[in-house]
Amino acid sequence: MEMVLQSLVSGLLIGGLYAILGIGMTLIMGVLKIINLAHGQILMVSMYITWTLWYYLGIDPYLSIFISVPVIFFLAEAISKYLLNPLIEKESILPENQVLMTVGIGMVLVELARSIFTSDYRSVRTAYSDKVWHLGKISISFPLFVAFAFSLVLTAAMFYLLMKTDLGRSIRAASQDKIAATLMGISSEKITIFTYGLGSALIAAAGSVFLPVYYLYPDVGPLFTIKAFVITILGGMGSTIGAIAGGLVLGIAETFGATYISQGYRDAFGLFIFLVVLVFLPGGLKRFTKV
Amino acid sequence: MKLGKILSAILALAIILNFNGCSKKETGPIKIGVLLPLTGSKANFGEMEKNSFELAKEKINKAGGINGRQLQFIYEDDTGKPDVGRAGAEKLITVNKVPLITGGYSSSVTFAAAAVAQQYKVPFLVNTGSVDKITEPEAFNLTTKDGDKFYIYRLNPPVSEYASGLETLLSEVVKPKTVFIIHESTAFGTKGAKSFKKSAEKLGIKVLGVQSYSEGTVDFKPLLMNVWKKRPDVIYMISYVMDAAMLMKQARELGVKPKLFVGAGAGFTMPEFKANAGPASERVVSATLWHQTLPIKGAKEYFDNYIKKYGGNGPDYHGAEAYSAALVVADVLKRCNGDYSKENIKKALDATDMMTPFGPVKFTSYGKKIHQNKMRTYVVQWINGELKLVWPKNLANAKFEYPINWNKVWK
Repeated sequence: MEMVLQSLVSGLLIGGLYAILGIGMTLIMGVLKIINLAHGQILMVSMYITWTLWYYLGIDPYLSIFISVPVIFFLAEAISKYLLNPLIEKESILPENQVLMTVGIGMVLVELARSIFTSDYRSVRTAYSDKVWHLGKISISFPLFVAFAFSLVLTAAMFYLLMKTDLGRSIRAASQDKIAATLMGISSEKITIFTYGLGSALIAAAGSVFLPVYYLYPDVGPLFTIKAFVITILGGMGSTIGAIAGGLVLGIAETFGATYISQGYRDAFGLFIFLVVLVFLPGGLKRFTKV
Repeated sequence: MKLGKILSAILALAIILNFNGCSKKETGPIKIGVLLPLTGSKANFGEMEKNSFELAKEKINKAGGINGRQLQFIYEDDTGKPDVGRAGAEKLITVNKVPLITGGYSSSVTFAAAAVAQQYKVPFLVNTGSVDKITEPEAFNLTTKDGDKFYIYRLNPPVSEYASGLETLLSEVVKPKTVFIIHESTAFGTKGAKSFKKSAEKLGIKVLGVQSYSEGTVDFKPLLMNVWKKRPDVIYMISYVMDAAMLMKQARELGVKPKLFVGAGAGFTMPEFKANAGPASERVVSATLWHQTLPIKGAKEYFDNYIKKYGGNGPDYHGAEAYSAALVVADVLKRCNGDYSKENIKKALDATDMMTPFGPVKFTSYGKKIHQNKMRTYVVQWINGELKLVWPKNLANAKFEYPINWNKVWK
């Protein structure tokens, strides 16, 4: 019983983090219609910003969100405006090539990070890094819990933005039917650029809260790009609710698989579910929702 | 008559040009290939080894080089992937035309590259890749009698011998009844786990289980819960550095308290392990192949020079292996008497018998292996934030802290 509960708690905590990775990617997927393969690399950049602020200025990783998020937002807007949009606008350039562009952007970011910070592993140590809560026999890591709470708040804020504001409606409109949205007076170029910024800002926040839990090196990104990709497909491309569900499902499936079958096949359980969803539920979990 | 003069002039010119070409060839640098992971998740180690190769090169060239010629290393990035490593080795041999390759970090990459070196009959001096089969001719369809057809040499001990020092510590001091083995899932971890299981059984320690995980795992708690359910005396871990830190951090969070946590080298001796694991790194014991305080000539000097040049916390055994490989290369080339052909270099490698900051180097045959350097290994422990050599007793610079009160250490 204790093992079941501990697995459930661990799975949920990790799942929350996965969800926020997935939402960022699914947003970009929905509006730009491309898979952003630089996703994990942007997470890495945000982690380096957080680490630098902590190491040189002593700023708490959680506070550095207020710096890393705007910095990444504007960086991503610039990437989108000057590197992705020119490709998206040309009909003759196939979407595959836009995806390749994101791969290239990712590589440049990794090598830039390597030339500035070298390949050394970095991590932050704070007063709460090693803090643990015990609920009966279940242990909950404090930084992981904070990361989970942050993802909940961010997800809720994201949801509000998408459902209740004009900007959110424009994004949803652009993702549902770009031409119709343009005819209704929405500047699809602006929305595209903004969405890429927004999706990246989300993972920037995830990067800052995740750093106290994990560690950092220039090649940390691809690991999370793959996770985000799996979640996006699981949830149904472009669906926010789907991404949240996908993230939690992935987190819990991995943890239970690791507990009861083998840790060595941890990633395989996630991918197994991924295949099952693709075969039996094409379109992903969003089929159960309307959002 | 005129024609004869012209002809002889041309002939003389040809002789001069030819002679020039010849002497030019003999004064240029001698190029040696080095295969290392300079990008990718193992780039950290690759960089440390590259720095060490460069440090050794400077020292060698300052002291006159190889019989007057400069030594030059050509680095090829294997990115930590076997297929890239294979292509890298091929490029070094066919494009750069090096007569000798060294380096080789991760086991699976090194093995893939070794097959290429063997195919092209180019000597390959491995300095880190540790899976046993690299120096077992059987794996290359040869027998132990085919020394003259086998082009792979290895400076570092194979993974099955990483724990030899540790084994005596366990059997003489800790005397555990049970052990649980956790390992990362590539060749290095899998083979290491297998061989430690064998030696644990030989020592009469019951192996309660063996579990693997994949590199970069975020959440080790399911694994650790399963391990702790069995209440082993010792938890033995084969991990790269950041996985090692995550494992210890989460073991502390879960309150996993065996008599002893033991790491099998690799990650557990690195400064980053302590930096990330914090208090959870305390009292963790690790097998190691090298430590700067060992009474080996040149060990401390190398360590200090490295810090002087590159800063940071200094190198661990990986760096010492690379530095010593460079010294072995220089020694081998010096003994070639100007003939730097592959065959001649191989002959010189066979005759190697020298002292390096990593320890004595001599390629011998035993068991299934040939061209293998045999070495002893040591045990270190993190004591109050510092890595101390605790075993063997006659070389130790600190007392082995045991038994351990985890409540106090982890407070």
